[in-house]
Amino acid sequence: MVDGKKQWKAWLYLSPVILLTLVFTVWPIINTVRIAFLDDYTLMDDVGGMTFSVGVYNFEKVINYPEFLTCLKNTLLLTVITVPISTFLALLIAVCLNSIKALNRLLQTIYFLPYVTNTIAIGIVFSTMFSMVGTGFGGANPYISTAGIINNIIGVFGIEPVNWVNTGSTYWANMFVMCVYIIWNALPFKILILLGGLQSVNKQYYDAAKVDGTSRVRTFFRITVPMLSPMLAYVVITGFIGGFKEYSSIVGVFGEEMGPAGNEGALNTMVGFINRNLMSGSPREGIASAGAILLFIIIFAVTMLNMYVSKKRVHY
Amino acid sequence: MKVVLKELTKIFPGRTKKAPEVVAVNKFDFEIPDGKLVGLLGPSGCGKSTTLYMICGLQKPSSGKIFFGDDDVTELSPENRGVGLVFQNYALYPHMTVKQNILFPLQNFKGADRLSKSEMLERAYNVAKLVQIDDLMDRKPSELSGGQQQRVAIARALVKMPRVLLLDEPLSNLDARLRLQTREEIKRIQRETGITTVFVTHDQEEAMSISDIIVVMKLGVVQQIDKPQTVYEDPVNLFVAKFLGTPPINVFEGYVSGGKLFIGEDRVLDVDGVEDQDVFVGIRPEGFIYDEKGPFHCALRNVEVMGRDVSIVSTNGASLNPIIRSIVDADNKIDVSAEKVSFTLKPHKVFIFNKETEERIRFGKSEQNSQTSSKED
Amino acid sequence: MTNLLSLSQGGMVALLVIFGVVILLELCYIGYLCYLRATGRKHFSLRRERQTVTPRVETQTDDGFALTTESLGDTKALGKGVMKERNIETVKKVQKVTKIIVKILIYIFLIAVAISVLFPFYWMIISSLKSYDEYALEGDFASRVSPTFFPQTILWSNYAEAFSTANLGTLFLNTVFVGIVSTILSLIITVLAAFAFARLQFRGKNVLFAALLATMMIPGELFTITNYGTVTNILGWGNTYTALIVPFLVSVFYIYLLRQNFLQIPDELYYAAKVDGTSDLKYLWKVMIPLALPTIISITILKMMGSWNSYIWPRLVANDDLHQLITNGLRDTQFNVYLPDGSIDQDKINYPVQMAAVTLVSIPLFLVFIFLRKYIMKGVSRSGLKG
Repeated sequence: MVDGKKQWKAWLYLSPVILLTLVFTVWPIINTVRIAFLDDYTLMDDVGGMTFSVGVYNFEKVINYPEFLTCLKNTLLLTVITVPISTFLALLIAVCLNSIKALNRLLQTIYFLPYVTNTIAIGIVFSTMFSMVGTGFGGANPYISTAGIINNIIGVFGIEPVNWVNTGSTYWANMFVMCVYIIWNALPFKILILLGGLQSVNKQYYDAAKVDGTSRVRTFFRITVPMLSPMLAYVVITGFIGGFKEYSSIVGVFGEEMGPAGNEGALNTMVGFINRNLMSGSPREGIASAGAILLFIIIFAVTMLNMYVSKKRVHY
Repeated sequence: MKVVLKELTKIFPGRTKKAPEVVAVNKFDFEIPDGKLVGLLGPSGCGKSTTLYMICGLQKPSSGKIFFGDDDVTELSPENRGVGLVFQNYALYPHMTVKQNILFPLQNFKGADRLSKSEMLERAYNVAKLVQIDDLMDRKPSELSGGQQQRVAIARALVKMPRVLLLDEPLSNLDARLRLQTREEIKRIQRETGITTVFVTHDQEEAMSISDIIVVMKLGVVQQIDKPQTVYEDPVNLFVAKFLGTPPINVFEGYVSGGKLFIGEDRVLDVDGVEDQDVFVGIRPEGFIYDEKGPFHCALRNVEVMGRDVSIVSTNGASLNPIIRSIVDADNKIDVSAEKVSFTLKPHKVFIFNKETEERIRFGKSEQNSQTSSKED
Repeated sequence: MTNLLSLSQGGMVALLVIFGVVILLELCYIGYLCYLRATGRKHFSLRRERQTVTPRVETQTDDGFALTTESLGDTKALGKGVMKERNIETVKKVQKVTKIIVKILIYIFLIAVAISVLFPFYWMIISSLKSYDEYALEGDFASRVSPTFFPQTILWSNYAEAFSTANLGTLFLNTVFVGIVSTILSLIITVLAAFAFARLQFRGKNVLFAALLATMMIPGELFTITNYGTVTNILGWGNTYTALIVPFLVSVFYIYLLRQNFLQIPDELYYAAKVDGTSDLKYLWKVMIPLALPTIISITILKMMGSWNSYIWPRLVANDDLHQLITNGLRDTQFNVYLPDGSIDQDKINYPVQMAAVTLVSIPLFLVFIFLRKYIMKGVSRSGLKG
């Protein structure tokens, strides 16, 4: 099959991919690493003909930013809170869904719905649901005309209204809203994958367990979870990667200020940090690159750790 | 534990509303005596697996009752019946070692039934010894051969000391050599434990070789229940006769006239007391005697010498099979170049069946013969 | 604030009832479990009769094993751990009740989850039809204290206001244009590349493919920084559609997906076509694409949805009024309440109008989902199998 004509044709078919990948993928990798190690690099100065000395200035700068540490903390918190909860919930839902017949397809469709939404748009809806309406938030005597639907609902259980996202809201209230939204958003994918996994488990294992009189709980932990472990590992690993790249959900709820009015940037994340350095009036590409490389290293390390752990525990 | 099936019926609804429903098992009546090994035999789709799953409790009968001893267990779910089930593909938990697999059912016991850890281990090792896998306890199922996996599956089913042991096609996933070995093994294990055992198979040889009792099924209906040898020597209808035996029985179209049985022009046998009618004639391969002056003439095709026996392949216009295979003693000197071959028939190896109902028509001599293998037990 | 508790609206009552039922059943279940624990022993280990086991050893095996039922379960343990007769009537009842309760609990849980999943959408649509005063409980509604679960008067004008305030017309057109063009170009590139990787033989194929796959590991943020400079400064595409389309035409994952699908098409078809003198491209068009159509549809939908939802990149390179995409426009627009004199009240966000805009942005996605659910779910779950 290998003849000259074929070779030439193959490269022709691949030329758009190769060209675009070289320009928009390969070159950026090289260049981003390059400018990360050029002290205080900015594109503006570069075009202006300035030369930069090579060093780790950008990294030092990034690590010493208090703002960066906030971003790192927020990212870690959001990931560590949302990934386990959403995975467990998705597993529970998938197992329950797999055990019923009536309404199965309808529920499956409903659960998948959040996946096909615009993260920013529904973020605005969540923000609205948690928002109080009125004036003078953050002051001594705010005037509140409605506490927002979420506060109304929790009011039914006798819980006092909470200032979730408005001016003067606390960090943990904001964090709670973000976690709820991120979990809500992350469930569809996880349910889909886990349900697919469940359906591929040989039904005979369950029959065997049933004949042996295994309780539901025991069946779940001794059979379902081990059988699903490859899918669980996949869902957790992608969950961690997604968690470390969290950005647009926060933009959806809080806007690009990445925090409630009066406390801007309180919920900023790693990606937010990178983007902020790019989007500001005077972009600082060097700092952004250093941040991006740190992000990559963290993601890479966590993924490797995940893989290592799952290799030990996952049954394939 | 005696197992009694009363008018057990399973009807599967059609796929769509208009599709006809499928009667998988139709009014199965049977009493499995305590401590016997029973083989459910039939071609695929005859409802034998469905019957097994109903005894197990994984499928609910549409009507009819199942008793274990005197207890009506029809409504009980499997875990409350005390059955052990060995699946066709074993269904060993791949993430557990052999030991964990065997211990698994014991760990399900609750409350006063629960054994201590050492008791469980002892039980597991005893059962492993019984099926001779005690040196494989720390392996994973994927590291075992098919035969070993099979033993683990049996051990897992036995370890909780079930009242009834059920085996679904226990040998179908094994290669030919292992199959022979394993079926002896199953027989041995069943004898030693004395647990009432039901197994399902489509392989008549397998069923014949190890069962105490064979149940032959066809399209959800039980055809015959008897000792293996009886089923072979005294089949109730053409289906049973055709299903059992290797090489298979030779079937001819024939007729009875004046107490004589004719195949084509040949008057092959005296059948006293049978009315004149068209019949199917079944002759076991070993029912032929090579006899140059014999009444039954066939066109000789081929002679295969198989050591002790000689297999004569011939044809006859009235035969329903493309060839007739007869097995005769090797002492016979057969003229291979001859065009014709003639036989005398052994009356007790010849069965005649009603042409419409395919039911067996009994005649003088075979009656006597069947008494040697009485149907009492 | 405290009179928020006094609820009259039907919806709220319904919610209350659901939660109430959940809690009640939960309590029932706990009670049932306690009952079982207290009395269960009697039921589950009722030894009506000891299992009578008759040893049935007829022969010793060659290995000298003489295992009987007796030796299998040593006599001490014979009452324990043995599958034995139980009080059938009780077991039957317990079995039935457990089954029903578990079923009910599962359904309650699943429906509760479904409600929480759907609630934001419900609230979005319902709010988008309310007047600001009804939403915020101001003005005429000042005396009313509970939120309305269905608008008192349906205000379709919110949608018109949202449409004009956010300039949604332009945003829609921009997004659709960018989405369609980039999807078509991307499909062409993907199909050709997948074909080359799946069907053609050339030197360096595996190395190239592995290299492409490796780039999937790197987070996109790493590319954004340099690409931003490349597009705006070197290529001079700032604020053009080109900048929105070209950098994201190659998706390694889609190439991978399609290649896998192409590989499943038997070689014989290709050889048969060659014997008939069919050209590669014709074979691709007439045989491979039709056979891989489900995957191609999945890719198309996912790519379109990607364009519709993209935020960061358009925000960076083309955020002027002329080229802005829908998500950015939505986030940037301030929906404020108009004062009686026609000026804008900067303090008050007009939530209903904002919700109307969000609804308008979401509806196309919902429509696509409803009609093409199968392809979307298949595409997404396929992406799950790559790991």
